[in-house]
Amino acid sequence: MIERSLTVVPENGLHARPAARFVSTASQFDSAIEVSAADGDPVDASSMLAVTGLNVRGGERVRLTVDGPDEDAAFEALEEILTTPEEE
Amino acid sequence: MTEPNGERRLEGTGVTPAVGVGPVHWLATDLELPEPPDADAVDRSSERERIVAARERALETLERERAAAVERVGESEAEIFDAHAAFLTDPQLEDGIDEAVDDDLPAEHAVQAAFEGPIAQFEAMEGPMAERADDLRDVRDRLVRELLGRETAAIPSGSVLLADRLTPSDTAGLDPDSVAGVATVTGGRTAHAAIIARALGLPAVVGVGEELRALEAGTQVVVDGERGRVIADPDPETRNRAERDRRVEPIAEPVETADGRPIEVAANVGGDDFAAAATQGADGIGLFRTEFLFLDREEPPTEDEQCEAYADALETFPDGRVIVRTIDVGGDKPLPYREGASERNPFLGARGIRVALEELSDLFETQLRAICRAAATEGGGELAVMFPMIATVEELEEAQARLEAAASALAEEGIEYERPTIGVMIETPSAAFIADELAARVDFLSIGTNDLTQYVMAADRENERVADLQDPLHPAVLRAIDRTTSHGSDAWVGVCGELAGDPAVTELLMGLGVDELSTSPIAIPAVKRRVREVEASAARALADRALEAGTRDAVARLLDGE
Repeated sequence: MIERSLTVVPENGLHARPAARFVSTASQFDSAIEVSAADGDPVDASSMLAVTGLNVRGGERVRLTVDGPDEDAAFEALEEILTTPEEE
Repeated sequence: MTEPNGERRLEGTGVTPAVGVGPVHWLATDLELPEPPDADAVDRSSERERIVAARERALETLERERAAAVERVGESEAEIFDAHAAFLTDPQLEDGIDEAVDDDLPAEHAVQAAFEGPIAQFEAMEGPMAERADDLRDVRDRLVRELLGRETAAIPSGSVLLADRLTPSDTAGLDPDSVAGVATVTGGRTAHAAIIARALGLPAVVGVGEELRALEAGTQVVVDGERGRVIADPDPETRNRAERDRRVEPIAEPVETADGRPIEVAANVGGDDFAAAATQGADGIGLFRTEFLFLDREEPPTEDEQCEAYADALETFPDGRVIVRTIDVGGDKPLPYREGASERNPFLGARGIRVALEELSDLFETQLRAICRAAATEGGGELAVMFPMIATVEELEEAQARLEAAASALAEEGIEYERPTIGVMIETPSAAFIADELAARVDFLSIGTNDLTQYVMAADRENERVADLQDPLHPAVLRAIDRTTSHGSDAWVGVCGELAGDPAVTELLMGLGVDELSTSPIAIPAVKRRVREVEASAARALADRALEAGTRDAVARLLDGE
């Protein structure tokens, strides 16, 4: 299991495009993936509703928990989305 | 309000400098569901199949609309479709729909029920989350429409679309060649839908209020996205004028007034879409906002990266001029990698050149080097540098010294460069007062009317309570412009605020002695056409009278030709 905190770089946080990309990437892996904001409860990373509902903005920290056969690849892919600035 | 000529005029916020005429068509938003059948009559497995199929079709439609939006508006506005696709396949929502079917609800009712909770939840949250509730409604309606086998009602060609509000996907799906215009009950200038309407060049007025609902389907209306007006039952004269303003063909060549005074009409650009500006007939770039190069990233752009961006712009306008405004952060534009202390009055604090000369001096130096290198681009037009928020001669001289230092350093390193021409933005009252001193030291002045109005009127641009003061036609602002154009040196004077894009003000600005107008690309065709109609001598007379006007209303009456 990989569990780590990250600072969300995209200015809009986990909304709109970064959220959509995050969710669709999380859905592609077999590992169980959860994400939580600051002190909140972890939610299913493959649910757009849940991820958007965290209301995470750019610069805030989230905790990512990945558990399963492809956890390394999944963590790496999601980390990249969370730490890459949005293109114009 | 009903005018003597039978017109009904409604006021809202204009978001596009374009005018449209046509019959009213109301966007159907209420999806009425048929009464649910008895629970016994619901076959759960077939309802589930219907839902799966509807979701598939909705995803296909989304993909098609996304592709159309990318083509019309660009990749940036297409993101909303990705978000909608993610909501459409959300496992929580899928489960919710499933459970509702387990309760023997037919598919469309199950969808309605499953979305209810999340919509209410998002609505209760603050800020951007309320917009997510709109997204959810949008997604729900897509699914329900598919289930009911209802197409999005086709909008009759040539009609003016009225709606309570427009979702971004509604707007991005509109075809600007078949919709004459758009007006909404709610919404503001910065709403996503407004931004897309602007990108499409679609005449649009938002936030008209409840009165809009009084306009029945089929009523002839004029949507004036320039002045923020919706005019129902227009009289023939209003109608003709609107028809004339409707679609303006871009004018590729430089224009002059009817009596031969050349006026440069350039584009304000805040990204790398220089070609779009050229397509609208821009003579060059009058304001290249470079912040986009710096924002939304962890590290500032390198010298090479910047040089390339400036050179690209130059190559797009081989016979024109590109004015690069140096980094203008602070105020409402924070930088992620800048520690910036929070200020009580950011608009009166460290912004523009004040930041560039001090804490961001390294960034400033890199930018000046990039500008000097780009100026040497083969086959490009003239490159100019413009300093923002100048309030004193000392600031200007310091900025010029930095530019000189950057040029000398390049010379020493044996790197090819050229000195750009130099200009100052006139945004502060102090700069307008000492325009003569500034003009004597540079090649041009460019008036940023938005900030100049904010500072002359002491009225925050973002504060709606003082929106009335935020009008550049107040006599004090006109006199500040006049003070600037009367500087007495050889420097030319431009206007790069929103005022420059309003053809109703073009004559006045010419009369005040403005030589260049720089505006959003979409406004360029109408401004160029207007320049050709203006007589420089009549414009001067108009300006003289406007400068004698004591009130905003008196200025407005002059412009209305009264």
